Amino acid sequence: MGSILEVRRLTKRFGGLTAVAGLDFNLGDGEILGLIGPNGAGKTTTFNIIAGTYAADQGEIRFAGESILGLPPHQIARRGLMRTFQHNRPFGGMPVLENVMVGAHRQFDRNLFRVLTGRGVEQEQKQRRRAEELIEFVGLAGLRDADVGTLSFGQGRLLEIARALAGEPRAILFDEPAAGLTPAELDRLAGIIKGIAGRGIAVLLIEHDMRFLLPLAHRVVVLNFGARIAQGTPQEVRADRAVMDAYLGDAAAL
Amino acid sequence: MRRLAWVAGFAVLAALPFFLGSYHNDVYRKLLLWITLALGYNFLFGICGQVAFSHFAFYGIGAYSVVILLFQFNLPLPVAIVLGVVICVAIALVVAIPSTRLEGFYLALVTLALAQLFIVVLNEGGNVTGGTGGIANYRLPPIFGWRIAGPPYTLVIVGLLAATFALLWRLDHSWFGRACRAVRDNPEAAAAMGVDVARTKVIVFTLTSALAGIAGMVYAFVDNTVNPPIFGLDNAFLILFMVIVGGAGRHAGAVIGATLLFLLPFWLSPIVGHHHQLIFGVLVVAAILAQPKGLIGLWDRFSK
Repeated sequence: MGSILEVRRLTKRFGGLTAVAGLDFNLGDGEILGLIGPNGAGKTTTFNIIAGTYAADQGEIRFAGESILGLPPHQIARRGLMRTFQHNRPFGGMPVLENVMVGAHRQFDRNLFRVLTGRGVEQEQKQRRRAEELIEFVGLAGLRDADVGTLSFGQGRLLEIARALAGEPRAILFDEPAAGLTPAELDRLAGIIKGIAGRGIAVLLIEHDMRFLLPLAHRVVVLNFGARIAQGTPQEVRADRAVMDAYLGDAAAL
Repeated sequence: MRRLAWVAGFAVLAALPFFLGSYHNDVYRKLLLWITLALGYNFLFGICGQVAFSHFAFYGIGAYSVVILLFQFNLPLPVAIVLGVVICVAIALVVAIPSTRLEGFYLALVTLALAQLFIVVLNEGGNVTGGTGGIANYRLPPIFGWRIAGPPYTLVIVGLLAATFALLWRLDHSWFGRACRAVRDNPEAAAAMGVDVARTKVIVFTLTSALAGIAGMVYAFVDNTVNPPIFGLDNAFLILFMVIVGGAGRHAGAVIGATLLFLLPFWLSPIVGHHHQLIFGVLVVAAILAQPKGLIGLWDRFSK
């Protein structure tokens, strides 16, 4: 299977602390890959390097066959690798629909001359229809024109997802999407993530909540102290000795 | 249908000067120029979220540039206009490229410094800028043998306003306007959606500064005099107040704010003299505390 995202020997040090130590993994089209590990294992650091927020010290990240290491976040997004934020970051001055349409930024030709000559109307309408579909897909229909300030936390998370999907990404990075959601919202989120993978989009999930992640992920990579200590299907990982040790005393969480 | 309404609206604005006397034509011209400036500043501050104090300085740079190029260097009018725009764009780029990469605070500081420096340069510019007295007693050169003056010149200003509005409106109602608002609301999330934050800021700053410069060129032939006190910091703040009182981020807000704050002194001066500044201050504080969306926000609330 061809991998859309390949991470090789990724290393990141903060002073004397090695946050990520020679990490390797692949992510395939339509795959749901969970990246898990105890607190401080290097999950968020890995996420931030892939999304372009942090620079890596060593290693390589290839997306769709091209190196994206060292690119700024907006160029990574433009290539079709989109992300959501753990702490929702809506655009507060815009209604829901406009928020989602910002996510479609990479779908536009970004030719200012065409805008000034009034020829951008067609793509604008096309993206508007698509944004409306996505709002419905994540279950925010009826809130299209709502002020984002009136959304609940869970609805804000769904907005994050619709916004990232509007860019028609080839891969999507979820930063702890389950955090702060109610059990009912978690069920809905799991359904949405399966739906996304079902469209052939690669999904990388950084997640704390094992009860949410294990039934959902096709494959899991387990990190501890920045290094990969196990990978495999959720069943394999659950039975892994090293993983149990890493989560010592917290085996019930698995 | 909607387009027809806009055309009709601008037709009324264009017809008006022919029914006004010369005093009211003068007031009307300046009102239109303030609205033009406020629309541009609203795009920079209200839509793209950049706090800059240089907008009025660029108005002055445009005005002085065209006058100096025409009457000190004796260049033909089209050349003077093009060069004037080039000067505004060049200065805007020099300011924007380093400062928009930093926190918003630095743009405010740098543009404040630019506005101050501009006044110093005008005062110390000797024969080129005319020093503290500025340059006066010139006239708009004839265009194809016709000297535009009186109501037809007011028409030029209506045209400027219409063109500025059309340009900003199109930008605002496109992916670009959305990117600007995203940059204002949450730069990190905007970048994660593929928006080049620094580039967007530089484009908006340069474009709105150039628009202010073009308005300044048109202004140069309203009073046929340019001098340093006109382009001082008072007016740099006034334009900020106009956008805040009217409603930052909304074109209609900029129009309402500019109209109100420009006309208010005409009504207030007979009553309170120069203390109208005090009333402006109170209005701005009241707007920020009680009605952050400005008068247009108030209108929205009551029209719902």
